[in-house]
Amino acid sequence: MAGPPQDLPPVPPVVAAEQLGREGKTAAGTPPPAIPGRERVDVARRLLVYGVLFLIAALYFVPFAWTVSTSLKTLPETVGFDLIPNHPSFHAYDNALTTFNFKRYFVNSLFIASVVTLTNLFLASLGGYAFARLRFPGREALFFLVLGTLMIPNELRLVPVFQMLTSFPVTHWSLIGSYQGYFVIRLVTATNLFLMRQYFLTIPKDFEEAAKLDGAGYFKTYLRVMLPLAGPALAAVTILEFQGTWNDFFWPLIVFLGDKSYYTLPLGINLFRNQFYTQWPELMAVSVIAILPIALLYVFFQRYFVAGVTAAGVKG
Amino acid sequence: MVGYAFVALPIASFLIFFIYPLFYSFYISYFDWGALGKINSVGLGNYREVYHDFLFHKALRNTLKYAAVVVPCQMALGLIMAVTVNQALRFRTFFRAAFYFPAIAGSVAITAVATYILASDGILNAAIGGVRGSTYTHSWFGESSTALQSIMGLNIWTTSGTMMLFYLASLQSIPPDVYEAAAIDGAGSWRTFWKITFPLLKPGHFFVAVLSVIGSLQVFDQAFFVSGGGGGPNYSTMTIVLYLYNTAINDVRFGYAATLGLVLFAMIFTLVLIQRLLFGRPEVS
Repeated sequence: MAGPPQDLPPVPPVVAAEQLGREGKTAAGTPPPAIPGRERVDVARRLLVYGVLFLIAALYFVPFAWTVSTSLKTLPETVGFDLIPNHPSFHAYDNALTTFNFKRYFVNSLFIASVVTLTNLFLASLGGYAFARLRFPGREALFFLVLGTLMIPNELRLVPVFQMLTSFPVTHWSLIGSYQGYFVIRLVTATNLFLMRQYFLTIPKDFEEAAKLDGAGYFKTYLRVMLPLAGPALAAVTILEFQGTWNDFFWPLIVFLGDKSYYTLPLGINLFRNQFYTQWPELMAVSVIAILPIALLYVFFQRYFVAGVTAAGVKG
Repeated sequence: MVGYAFVALPIASFLIFFIYPLFYSFYISYFDWGALGKINSVGLGNYREVYHDFLFHKALRNTLKYAAVVVPCQMALGLIMAVTVNQALRFRTFFRAAFYFPAIAGSVAITAVATYILASDGILNAAIGGVRGSTYTHSWFGESSTALQSIMGLNIWTTSGTMMLFYLASLQSIPPDVYEAAAIDGAGSWRTFWKITFPLLKPGHFFVAVLSVIGSLQVFDQAFFVSGGGGGPNYSTMTIVLYLYNTAINDVRFGYAATLGLVLFAMIFTLVLIQRLLFGRPEVS
């Protein structure tokens, strides 16, 4: 079994990731030639542009600053609207995690997001590889079917999926109120499969031919040659699916209906707000708990967010 | 042939959880269908009911009103931000990250933040009160005159960053030599934008518009969260999907809910079809 040969050109990363992650180059190209006497006007204009930009950026950030600030306050202190709390404390977090059971919701969110991400990584890359490289009768028709599922909105699936999970055809399993019920409806998405296929298409065939000469079968080629080369696409799928599942409200609401031990963070926040409407520090603390992990992922893996979102948008 | 083994699981999952629900929805839409199953066949009765259903009309009107405001605002903001961060600016990475940041937060968490900002004793009212010099205690989500508008504002804020990303991808497909030609002709940046960038972005505009309309037609999470699922106050936040959810889960009228799902599907399908006919499949990836 040969690893990927070392002397071949590096694999092109996902185009969207590459395009949008690249710094320095702009579509506007080179600036127009300077005209004497224009400099002062330009400086004034640049200052104005930067001023407006920082203002918009502040507008986009300030609500989050207030969220964090309020989560560190006590309820009486929230009346003051000071951005810096007088006596910052993690009391609200402590309260939310233990008294209001958000530790459990956090673990549930982490668990379902991890499992759904793993099944998507495996099935999307498996299917994507087959649609990109293997030949079999009906391949185009099947791929068309995969893309066709993108046209079917979640809302249309609500009733049939709910009925199916209540009593699964033939086997009569009841999957409502179980993790399996959630996993089974989110095994793989067409977006991810499409993203993986597009990426595999960009990998030079030489790699697989080298593996074939070594006598590797299709599955071994997929696992040992293609997957290691598909890092950027796998990263984009990971981010897209983890974030999507972590933030998902619609399907957990339907599948975990009524059983609080399965509640995820969004369901927990919804429950908390219905019961304790104006306990602002706790409500902001649980919002921070829900947003912070994704925000950290975003800071470190920004380009994969961009690639994933752009690919997901193509589905239309 | 080994290809079938590779695609078997994904295809099975798509057939069972996407394709089958589509056909099953058509089937069940001809029945009055309750928790215990088929009650009786109603023919096109469910479709007739959609046509006459007062509450559905309210939900449809709310959703269309929502789309009519959110779509143009999202597009305009997204375009302005995209064109801006596409320039040779200092801090452009920072600006792009900042503009996209609200979009990464979950809909429920961000709506929770909005309920705090827009509460009657919230920070927005404190600011308004400060400017007016008197206390202001309007409950933005609590009054039917402003509840839907507040959701509009919230979603314009959170999703304009996503529209910016699509516009950025679209901007990068404009060849740089077009701009060079414009610069040689002495066109200023304002003129260049309106005479070159804006018209050349036509497929991008349409793509973003369709995406934005589809997203608007499906608005649910925020409306559910602020109204506790009921679409209140006074049905002002009742959207198509929220109504569909209530019909299916609370009223257990599966046949009618499936019919509503098909109506929504028809709306989305028509939009996508128009877009494909006019511009073909977008090549973003």
